[in-house]
Amino acid sequence: MADTVIDVHHHGAAGHDDHHHDQHWIVKYLWSTDHKIIAMQYMFTGMAMGVIGGFMAYVFRMQLAFPGISVPGFGQVSPGEYNALITNHGSIMIFWLAMPVLIAAFGNYLIPLMIGADDMVFPRINRLSFQIFFISVVVLLASLFVEGGGFGGAWTSYPPLSAESTYNLTTLGSTLWLTAVALEFVAFLLGGINFITTLMNSRAPGMRAYDIPMVCWMIVIASILFMLSVGPLIAGAVMLLFDQVLNTGFYDPARGGDPILWQHLFWFFGHPEVYVVLLPAIGITVDVIATFARKKLFGYKMVLYTAVATGVLSFFVWAHHQFIAGIDPRMANVFTVTTLLISVPIAEMCFVIIATLYGGSITLTTPMLWALAFMAEFLIGGVTGIFLGASGADIYFHDTYFVLAHFHYTFFPIAIIGTFCGFTYWFPKMFGRMMNETLGKIHFWGTIIPFNFIFIPLFVLGMGGQHRRIYNFQHFPELATDQMYSLRQVATIALLVMIAFQAVFVFNVVYSWLKGPKAGKNPWKANTLEWTTESPPPHGNWPPAELPNVYRGPYEYGHPDREEDYWPQNEPA
Amino acid sequence: MAEHSENQGHHGDGGHDDGHHVNYFKIYVILVVLFLISVAGPELGIRWVTLITAFGIAVVKANLVISNFMHLKWEKRIMKWMLASSLILMALMVAGISPDVLNHEGRNWENIAAQEAVARGLNGEDHGEGEGETEVVADAGNAGGGGFSAAGSFGTVCATCHGAGGLGDGPAGMALDPRPANFTDPAFWEDRDRERILTVIRDGAAAVGGSALMAPWGALYTEEQLEQMTDYVMEFRPN
Amino acid sequence: MAHARPIATTRSATGIPTGRLAVWWVLASEVVIFGGLLGTYLMHRLGHPEWADAAAHTQTWIGALNTFVLLTSSFTAVLGHQAAERGNGKEAAKYLGFTILGALTFLVVKSFEWYNEISHGYTITANTFWSFYYTAAGLHALHVIAGAIIMGVVAVDAFRGRGLHRVELIGIYWHLVDVDWILLFHLLYIAK
Repeated sequence: MADTVIDVHHHGAAGHDDHHHDQHWIVKYLWSTDHKIIAMQYMFTGMAMGVIGGFMAYVFRMQLAFPGISVPGFGQVSPGEYNALITNHGSIMIFWLAMPVLIAAFGNYLIPLMIGADDMVFPRINRLSFQIFFISVVVLLASLFVEGGGFGGAWTSYPPLSAESTYNLTTLGSTLWLTAVALEFVAFLLGGINFITTLMNSRAPGMRAYDIPMVCWMIVIASILFMLSVGPLIAGAVMLLFDQVLNTGFYDPARGGDPILWQHLFWFFGHPEVYVVLLPAIGITVDVIATFARKKLFGYKMVLYTAVATGVLSFFVWAHHQFIAGIDPRMANVFTVTTLLISVPIAEMCFVIIATLYGGSITLTTPMLWALAFMAEFLIGGVTGIFLGASGADIYFHDTYFVLAHFHYTFFPIAIIGTFCGFTYWFPKMFGRMMNETLGKIHFWGTIIPFNFIFIPLFVLGMGGQHRRIYNFQHFPELATDQMYSLRQVATIALLVMIAFQAVFVFNVVYSWLKGPKAGKNPWKANTLEWTTESPPPHGNWPPAELPNVYRGPYEYGHPDREEDYWPQNEPA
Repeated sequence: MAEHSENQGHHGDGGHDDGHHVNYFKIYVILVVLFLISVAGPELGIRWVTLITAFGIAVVKANLVISNFMHLKWEKRIMKWMLASSLILMALMVAGISPDVLNHEGRNWENIAAQEAVARGLNGEDHGEGEGETEVVADAGNAGGGGFSAAGSFGTVCATCHGAGGLGDGPAGMALDPRPANFTDPAFWEDRDRERILTVIRDGAAAVGGSALMAPWGALYTEEQLEQMTDYVMEFRPN
Repeated sequence: MAHARPIATTRSATGIPTGRLAVWWVLASEVVIFGGLLGTYLMHRLGHPEWADAAAHTQTWIGALNTFVLLTSSFTAVLGHQAAERGNGKEAAKYLGFTILGALTFLVVKSFEWYNEISHGYTITANTFWSFYYTAAGLHALHVIAGAIIMGVVAVDAFRGRGLHRVELIGIYWHLVDVDWILLFHLLYIAK
């Protein structure tokens, strides 16, 4: 083994490239162990799933605003289809868009580059992780087309609805859905172990714990959170699968089981999961803001510690999803307190970002706009969460559109804004060309403004008592008033506008990829290591002899003793 | 840490050559003795002795294996912390869940079904004693289950919308548009025959141009069961 | 893609070899899977005194035999690691072979036990105690099977003197399987 290592040193950069050029394209792009290729596979699979999830949102929003309409591109929506659409919209957006893009794609792309390594420590496990993920995508999509239709028991999949096929009517659909989710968990467990081990062991010489860029820390903390929270749910999912397939009674109280148990196991995972996707998005935001404010990140250690504190606290808030499920009221008190506590570290992160911006010389590039929008919109999501975290208020708000609007104000910034922020920021590195700023800004405003027009009406509707998961509000006279319908139509039309503006993004990506100006190594004049190599980086990231050494932290902008306002991590003092 | 980077990792066997030479055989003997005690414990028939031999010894044994065989004793502190925190996390999870799952009644609620299950079990009704007693069938509506009955399936599946008396007045049907069919209405039967009822139950009303609200049930029942349910519905037909 | 290993794999900033670090993380994720399942079982068991009747039908002596087999296989696994540390691949492979033999014995005894129980009507649907019994033991048996297969691969490599550090890694995993079984044995067979 030792000789193979020496082998690497003997290959020049050119030798490495040749080695890669004569590979068949299937080997190069589909069977690769290169972390950058795997990152792109995750990125584009995730985005494609995002398009499918968005299409689902379009179909059921049309049904809600114009009940009974034949939706263009889909046709008339039946109640069963409606349930399958909302269930799979939720599952896809969280498990197949937010997780693969924010954790797997950015994690794979950025961690080795940012810590100055040439690849992950387990490249083949990395490939396996994507392959399992891809199978999970296929299984999920197949579940939509089997007899009986796709699973319609909501992404939370509460038994007995999810366990008994006489209730949910989707014998095969629900089992396939559960299988797909389980495969997805396996993929991310493998990927997570890879991220954690890589960050712990393979840092460039000289890179201490506090020299690691924040986004790497965040992705690794998120991977640890995921790993520790998902275990009980894996056990719980096996039990649910047996309830579905073998007719056991784990969740049937008449046979000694307990349906509340599933809710606990699900939310013991489900709530940390929110922070699993939130932390990478905050990491991306923090990196982008420090770069474009040209200022040292305010309180690096504080951000790191608050991220850890958020992670620890996030394990002890789960029952706030179950305040009206009949849980012990004394526990409801405890969980109200922990839920309100968790806003403290998150608020701290907002203050850190504001303090970083204060007095900086800010450039409003497209990624910077996305980063600022992330904080602004996420703040609304966070503040509305205070109402829901208080068990008293939650008795009224539970399962209304207020809840729905609240978590879309958190997940949209995370999954969509965070993704666009990272994608536009690292696009020059990924593809070697700059994106068009004008188109980028049109796309930005065309997404952010309709986004608020979608969900602010839904807050109002929720406070008016509109319940979630209802197929047709015409059946409920008090919910079918003209005012309520006009609000629903505002939301739906805003969604159509937002979807239309995504065409600008697609055009911008394709156009810039082909025709954009060459980016060069470091277009943003940023400090972190990925900007010291070519754009796009070659296989192995750096010529083996030139792997960087690290001399300082990642956010040394505007140092008074230097002519340049940035100070790359790898530049000797 | 940079200095390490050249040659670690590959020969993991040399990774912790800090000279711990345990007598593995001694530990193995201790483990076997503990194991024998834990098996013998319940034979005494004293409850607290059983609990101590069961859980006390389980913890001691697990600890011996983890620290000696797995060498956690000599591992870096960070790994000990990590394993300890995942154990603590599990303990806290159980603490958070058990008020709801372990108990069958709380301040403002009781889990009647679970209480009944306990009572049934203590009376010796269904703990699977004896040969041949196998499945507890959850309810009559289960596809392929032993206890299918058309009336039972109608009660659990159809009656939610069509009502137990077939009047189209089931609780879930009240809000539907069009309203569920009333099987006792002569007008309903004017253009319907047995074949059509069977088709609608199996493939849904949309299959014959009706409302998609009447879902297809063919995936859940065998053809024979569908026939029986059709017969059951036909009985509502006014003469 | 049989080209040179990435330089990343040769670094060790923590001082723990990369492979062992990853195995510890795998173990952490296993701890929460088994922890969730056993914690769930414990809660249910305490809430259902009537399960004592069902639990009385588990066969303590068969369980005890299996515990002994796994303990012994753990012992041979650690002897294999000792041999690998001395650089003796052939001897390490021999001990791993004994461990695999232990795994196979375990599985044979287990299937005999299950056959016996199922033929007496104690199937997975007989009662929720039995559902837990088969789910927990089944999950554990899956780990035994997976461990035995991986160990076979490692043993063949070790016999040819390659990848000796892996002997320790699979050993660590195997001890976890052993610890899991110790807990299962005490929960399902002893503490009735």
